[in-house]
Amino acid sequence: MKPINLIKQAGALAIVTAAATIGLAATAVQAAPASKTIRVLSAAGVDAASPEAAIWKKAPATQVALQAAFPGHGSIVGTPVTERLTAQAVRAGDRLFVKLAWNDRNANTTIKDTGQFVDGAAVQFPINGKAATTPFMGDNVNAVNVWHWRADGHTENLVAKGFGTSTRVPFEGLKGAAVRTDSGWAVVLTRSLKVKPDEGASLSGKGTMPVAFAAWDGDNQERDGLKAVTLEWWQLRF
Amino acid sequence: MSQRQLAYVFDLNKCIGCHTCTMACKQLWTNRDGREYMYWNNVESRPGKGYPKNWEQKGGGFKGGVLQTDGKIPPKEDYGGTWEYNLEEVLLQGKGNQVVPHEKPTWGVNWDEDEGKGEFPNNHYFYMPRICNHCSNPACLAACPRKAIYKRPEDGLVVLDQERCKGYRYCVKACPYGKVYFNLQTQKSEKCIGCYPRVEKGVPPACVAQCVGKIRFVGYRDDKDGPIYKLVEQWKVALPLHAEYGTEPNVFYVPPMNVTPPPFEEDGRLGDKPRIPLADIEALFGPGTKQALETLGREMQKRREAKPSELTEILIGYTNKDRYRL
Repeated sequence: MKPINLIKQAGALAIVTAAATIGLAATAVQAAPASKTIRVLSAAGVDAASPEAAIWKKAPATQVALQAAFPGHGSIVGTPVTERLTAQAVRAGDRLFVKLAWNDRNANTTIKDTGQFVDGAAVQFPINGKAATTPFMGDNVNAVNVWHWRADGHTENLVAKGFGTSTRVPFEGLKGAAVRTDSGWAVVLTRSLKVKPDEGASLSGKGTMPVAFAAWDGDNQERDGLKAVTLEWWQLRF
Repeated sequence: MSQRQLAYVFDLNKCIGCHTCTMACKQLWTNRDGREYMYWNNVESRPGKGYPKNWEQKGGGFKGGVLQTDGKIPPKEDYGGTWEYNLEEVLLQGKGNQVVPHEKPTWGVNWDEDEGKGEFPNNHYFYMPRICNHCSNPACLAACPRKAIYKRPEDGLVVLDQERCKGYRYCVKACPYGKVYFNLQTQKSEKCIGCYPRVEKGVPPACVAQCVGKIRFVGYRDDKDGPIYKLVEQWKVALPLHAEYGTEPNVFYVPPMNVTPPPFEEDGRLGDKPRIPLADIEALFGPGTKQALETLGREMQKRREAKPSELTEILIGYTNKDRYRL
């Protein structure tokens, strides 16, 4: 058998195992939703786009523990360094602002040499709004929408249907802003609640919405599936 | 698995190290847009560190059929600088009196050219041109989580989809030949494309077509009337480079033979041993080297005795039609 096929088989086996785990995880989230909830502060008329906006002093801050992502491919080796982040969310009119803050020793903001990688963070939603969707990049039936902030200034709106499938979806409405703090990064990602079906996950009219997070440390050559993530969905409670 | 596999044979006994292949490739593909440091085709002097520097120690490939994840991403300094000269200033504008590079060069694509190994007068080297091996079992392809790399079904050329690539560089790590490059400008990886737009028109790749020494043969592995099949399968004089990397490369080399005279003995006479140690050549082309060299020697001797030799006829490759079967 060709090594490629071996790897594919190993990957497929691992995905099945992961899917079984996800099933358990989803049940656990539904059984005790309050334990992993991020409360969204409603604040009409404020601009929360900057991580330093005053409103973030009022929005509830939740500590979110991160673990190494399930390595979806044999190439992905290593251990991510980020252990936790602080998540906050503000709804202002028809916009959602999500602020993430985490420790990061060095700002990796540019790629000037072949071995360099940039810091990053991401927020992920199931496009169908259901926690039964696998949080590991979705699958070919249940897609996920990822808001990916990169420390080189790019913010990408992605849709994924499983490992290795994330694809940029042209959408001007997703904005990211970041500041360097004493201990690392503070990033705000914002978008209108409502989008066209092919632009990502709609957040309008939701009481709760599953959400997942990820962080990459460029210093540690983290990219792709080498990342620290929430292994289960959290709930955004509007 | 592709339906057909395009392959190359490079006859190292004919390579004169002129780098015309390198220039042809660079002019066509890599002289712009972040590719300046890349040499999809390069010619290195062996023994030597090669390009990127010490690529044989970079890791990657397969061991026991398992993709290795210990590969390195060579830093830019191991590929070398992309210095420019103040030619216009000095030669056309009359400013200054010395043509100099804009930065101090410390390493380059053929930095250790002609250095080789051994002590004068018994030192030795030979030239080894390298391109992507368009492997049958490409480590770069196996390493990409996004399936951005694929083998073209019609010719087996390994290509990298710039739309799918996200610049993760697992492919750069995985290629044991150091033949996938990261473009710092586009933030995506790139590699030799086997000049597929030319191949599709029945025209050989630029590096092949421009070769001054006519050392390059190109055709399909399954074409039993073509030079590739005859040299690789029938005569077994063309060998893959570092087959132990497990990628099943499709560039085959006719190992160097008598590219240097025999070494001088103590008394000043020429000896009868080969100047390049067999072990050095075997380290590159594996255990088939000895037999290949013996076959070459036998057939060359026939030629010297004015006897017919099909093998030497093939290796001479009189016309383009003899060397290219596309």
